[in-house]
Amino acid sequence: MKDIEEFLTGRVWLRNFTPFPKEQIDQAILNGKISISRGITDELQCARCLEKSPQKIISFFCSACVGICYYCRHCIRMGRVSSCTELITWSSPSTITPQSHSFHWNGNLTPLQERASQEVQKSLFQQNDHLVYAVCGAGKTELLFPPIFAALQKGQRVCVAAPRTDVVLELSPRLRAVFPDTIIHSLYGNSPEESGFASLVIATTHQLYRFQNAFDVMIVDEADAFPYSYDLALKNAVIKARKKDAPIVYVSATPSDQLQKQVPEISQIFNRFHGHPLPVPEFRSLWGYDKAFAKGKIPKKLIAWVDEKIEKEEPFLVFFPTIEMIEQAIPLLQERHPEIAAVHSKDPDRKEKVMKLRQRQIPGVLTSTILERGITIPNVQVAVVGADQPVFNAAALIQIAGRAGRSADYPDGEVVFFHNGIVRQMDKAKQLIISYNGGSRR
Amino acid sequence: MNCYLCERDMPLQANWRSLFLNDLEEVICSRCRSSFERLEKGCRICGGLGTDICSDCSKWETTAYAGVIDSGKSLFRYNPAMKEYLHQYKFLKDIVLAEVFAPVLREELRSQKAVIVPIPMNENKLKERTFPQVDRLLDAASLPYVYYLGKNEVRLGGKSKADRIASEDVFWWNGKPVPEKVLLFDDLYTTGSTMRMAAKALKAEGVKEITILALIRA
Ligand SMILES: [Zn+2]
Ligand SMILES: [Zn+2]
Ligand SMILES: [Zn+2]
Ligand SMILES: [Zn+2]
Repeated sequence: MKDIEEFLTGRVWLRNFTPFPKEQIDQAILNGKISISRGITDELQCARCLEKSPQKIISFFCSACVGICYYCRHCIRMGRVSSCTELITWSSPSTITPQSHSFHWNGNLTPLQERASQEVQKSLFQQNDHLVYAVCGAGKTELLFPPIFAALQKGQRVCVAAPRTDVVLELSPRLRAVFPDTIIHSLYGNSPEESGFASLVIATTHQLYRFQNAFDVMIVDEADAFPYSYDLALKNAVIKARKKDAPIVYVSATPSDQLQKQVPEISQIFNRFHGHPLPVPEFRSLWGYDKAFAKGKIPKKLIAWVDEKIEKEEPFLVFFPTIEMIEQAIPLLQERHPEIAAVHSKDPDRKEKVMKLRQRQIPGVLTSTILERGITIPNVQVAVVGADQPVFNAAALIQIAGRAGRSADYPDGEVVFFHNGIVRQMDKAKQLIISYNGGSRR
Repeated sequence: MNCYLCERDMPLQANWRSLFLNDLEEVICSRCRSSFERLEKGCRICGGLGTDICSDCSKWETTAYAGVIDSGKSLFRYNPAMKEYLHQYKFLKDIVLAEVFAPVLREELRSQKAVIVPIPMNENKLKERTFPQVDRLLDAASLPYVYYLGKNEVRLGGKSKADRIASEDVFWWNGKPVPEKVLLFDDLYTTGSTMRMAAKALKAEGVKEITILALIRA
């Protein structure tokens, strides 16, 4: 029973898909230790992901319950939830004994990181929400270590949620190294199953659907990131996963105005940890680039840029607004260098290609916006083709620009926004970057 | 609306066909549509690779199942995009995906003279899956169909192919008088044993001509 309690505490799970024998689950339900709820409520809302739009809650004639039934499309990849499926959660008082934790880290925080770190800790102590507003490369993760440790030592359950699997995979080994005695679970699509009661959970925001009333501290990394800022369901998932009134720490390089207004406590760090300013993007016109690619031609200015990087042997990233445009561009650019690679969100070899770029085995990578976060490639040069397209809002452009100059050995790096006419979001991104740099000179 | 498969926003394309012919609505984007590969003219029985008749079908024609299928074809290759589709439809049970191939199936079968007979599901399997996936493909395409067969539970695990072929009574006749011409429809054609067994059962009851159609040829 102990392993069932550890597994189901704070979780909502499909009754028929637990890793335990059916009889044990049935028994725990009979004993009142596990409570049951219907997958889709009478109000036609998914009890797991809280989706309720009619486009996502689908009615069908169900051969299992022999009648009209509803299922949720939104969270279907976690196993389909329907009216006749049951969700279970541990509902009796916890018998889980507190773990002991240790903190193994011998890095140093800069004075700005140190201050922000203490401010976060204070907010957590006072149960206030907090925003860490820090530029790319400011060392956001490190400053969270001390507050996380303080929470763990108080016996609290902590969750670090990030919008994408890449970020979870990047954070996990770092946190596991720093908290070696803590049971940590990393959760993302198809992640391997881990046992025990995790005091620290690192999860994609999607995986939060499977939690309810679980965490004493929620840390939402890259709180502005697609899809988080667009997806109300994910926002609700954060609220559902935390315990009532548990504080949320938002971490972002590009927080929305709304988030800045909504959160009472804000720590700002506009300096990179190496103290150099952020590269300021340069605007370059690339008239009719979309038509050029469609006709099988690369605009001359882009050829010149790519050729120069190949010549100087500087690794480069070129961001494109659509997968279609990447597909049109890749054969053309491979004529300049056959090893240039393309990646997109569903590319299974994505990590491998980025690794090759980092190790200088290939000259450059064409990418959709998916690569805008979570990668550091020394001396990388960055171009955005079609920076005027709506998919590149100011936040995305700032993130993209932030790929350059991250390492202390190469604090500079070129960032070029190729466009078909300058739009407001481009201006906004540039102005914000200049203002961050102004802040760091103060 | 958003594409049923990739979730990207689809600009409403009011093409002239949908305006004038009242065709079925496209539920996936053109990019996802183009990820599926139509089969060119192949084997005259199963539509698989081969001219005239494929090697699989030639083998069948030397068995007790020779001649049970008169003609047939399959529409799509079992490529990675199709595998992903079928996984989401059948195993994740995303029923709305029945609509994805509705326009193609309707085009293919709207002027069909034979009676369309879907390969049935076993009762226990149906309860487990919660929906009859082959029927729903036809329903989405607004095509009429009739059952003449039921299916017993088959446990394929552990049996050799020869044993499976020998299991004569996988399908049973439901007692309804059969028509002369039947079009047997299934979602996925793999070894051909399902179609052959169903066709044999129908011919035993007096069907004269059997054509088969599979959405996908593995
Ligand atoms: Zn749901
Ligand atoms: Zn049902
Ligand atoms: Zn699509
Ligand atoms: Zn054949």
